[in-house]
Amino acid sequence: MNTPPTPLMLHSFPHAILHVDGDAFFTSVEQALNPDLRGKPCVTGKERGIIACASYEAKSRGVKRGVSLWDARKLCPDLVVLPSDYETYSLMSKRMFEIMRRFTPEVEEYSIDEGFADITGMRSYFRKSYPDIARDLQQTIHRELDLTVSIGLSLTKSLAKIASDYRKPHGLTAVPGNRIHEFLPRIPTADVWGLGRNRVALLAKFGVNTAWDYINRPEPWIRKLLHKPGAEMWQELRGNMVMPLDKELQRPEASISKSKTFSAPSDDPDFMYAKLVRNLESACIKLRRHHLRAKEIHVSLRTKDYTEAAAGARLSRTFQNAHDVIPVIRELYAQLYRLGTTYRATGVVLVGLSDDRQYQYSLFEDPLKIEKIRSLGKTTDLLQKRFGKHTIYLGTGLYIAKAPQHERDTPVWRKLHRLPGETVRKHIRIPLLNMTV
Amino acid sequence: MPRQINIQEKIRQLRAFYRAEGRAPSFGEMARLFGYASKYAVYGPVRRLVELGYLRHTSQGKVAFTSKITASIPALGSIQAGFPSPAEEELLDTISLDEFLVRRPEATYLLTVSGDSMQDAGIQPGDMVLVEKGENPKHNDIVIAQVDGEWTLKYYGKDREGIYLDPANARYSRIRPARTLQIGGIVRAVIRKYA
Repeated sequence: MNTPPTPLMLHSFPHAILHVDGDAFFTSVEQALNPDLRGKPCVTGKERGIIACASYEAKSRGVKRGVSLWDARKLCPDLVVLPSDYETYSLMSKRMFEIMRRFTPEVEEYSIDEGFADITGMRSYFRKSYPDIARDLQQTIHRELDLTVSIGLSLTKSLAKIASDYRKPHGLTAVPGNRIHEFLPRIPTADVWGLGRNRVALLAKFGVNTAWDYINRPEPWIRKLLHKPGAEMWQELRGNMVMPLDKELQRPEASISKSKTFSAPSDDPDFMYAKLVRNLESACIKLRRHHLRAKEIHVSLRTKDYTEAAAGARLSRTFQNAHDVIPVIRELYAQLYRLGTTYRATGVVLVGLSDDRQYQYSLFEDPLKIEKIRSLGKTTDLLQKRFGKHTIYLGTGLYIAKAPQHERDTPVWRKLHRLPGETVRKHIRIPLLNMTV
Repeated sequence: MPRQINIQEKIRQLRAFYRAEGRAPSFGEMARLFGYASKYAVYGPVRRLVELGYLRHTSQGKVAFTSKITASIPALGSIQAGFPSPAEEELLDTISLDEFLVRRPEATYLLTVSGDSMQDAGIQPGDMVLVEKGENPKHNDIVIAQVDGEWTLKYYGKDREGIYLDPANARYSRIRPARTLQIGGIVRAVIRKYA
């Protein structure tokens, strides 16, 4: 569309929403805690053989997220490859959100490395302009966490998210309402949050190539083409807030979930079922460790192209041993598995948790059998404590051995440096600096 | 006759929840915690607990714990209903070792010491130090610093010639950075744990 850009509104910030995005978060955390890694090209994801995060040094050498390690090493022979230390990343992520909460109570933890903050009205409180508050936040995170973040400041979540992506790393981009018309013509539709490859291609067929083209189409036209989400995006890009912040802390309702991505995608039904049962066993180990029982089980399979199928069941009585659920999980698996499809991950989620120590037998149960299974669980746990996790497992687990093994047995640095009194399960909630003084 | 509310039991349940979750429960979670079928039933005990100063309302219409719940009190045995025991009263103003040692939780890191350059300051190899990032050191603060590419643990000082770093060990001498100096953090506490 060749509409000459004219302002959409005269106000600067009727709302002030920040999007805070950690720059190469995982590798930046590694570099913050281990100064030896600073300035070096590093990546995480050693345990999967695929790059989960690449530092800016690595990115400048052409190493990107999602590339296999083997390909990456060809591009960059001196690449530092680290196993993912999610515990430490989560600790640092929590700290980032805590710092954001110093500036406003309205914070949405969108994912481990990005979040939104509503700072509307905080100008008079801090006696600073909105961009200055944003800069302050950015500097505080940098000083205290040694991490850089890129921040977008605008009127809605969608605009702020595009803005944070505009200058990276360590960028700050403010798009006030009276400048939206200058900003959006520079944004290709592919950079709009929520417009995937297919929608971008569809829009291009109608000559809509930039976010500016998008908002200059009439709303009903967009609604007809892309339905409600598209229409909401249309409003958001025009500076009208329709997607409020989700301020609930991202603490899931009490549940235990275990999922594992295969080292290589597989279409072998026996192997996948074995992996699924292995996840169930891991989840049950955790249940027993916390003296819990579960009532519901959910099973999910993720295909090679990242679509997910899931099914769940509520059991007639609570359980804490894999044995009790095997018939159920077999049925759920049969429901979900499609012959000839290649999958990359299986997962199990247990919900409806209750305290095992208050467990009461119901009238129709066989207490003897229950006690037998209970003591089986105890013995399994005892053996695993002495000889390692999954020393003893259900017979289906034998299929797992068929999978090719990769070079991925390097534990994370933090695991090799346990402090006195820390156990395999419980660690101090403070990040450990990796430097020699 | 109105239902009797066992308020001490509710307090115990809330403390247990706080210990497990580290936050205040929602009304829905409280209903489950107290074994009520309806969220509405929670309002009674909540009002009572607010009157007694165990809970307070936040601006977002939720409830938050006061220090009467969050103070790190171990189980103190059974408590007579009605009045808190004097022992409990005395413990209300206590803080945990965590709060005692860590002033700014978001900026604090642990570091295991390997060298002996600060041994006369009581920091031995193998000790852990709590390092705080993000503030400018003052004279005689113990800092971790990178001097000309090497990381070290030293006293921080400043005189007319500029910044210097002093060891606490006669076998080492004062360092003045020749090219670069970067402060990695200030040591706020030393922890030595005997196995």
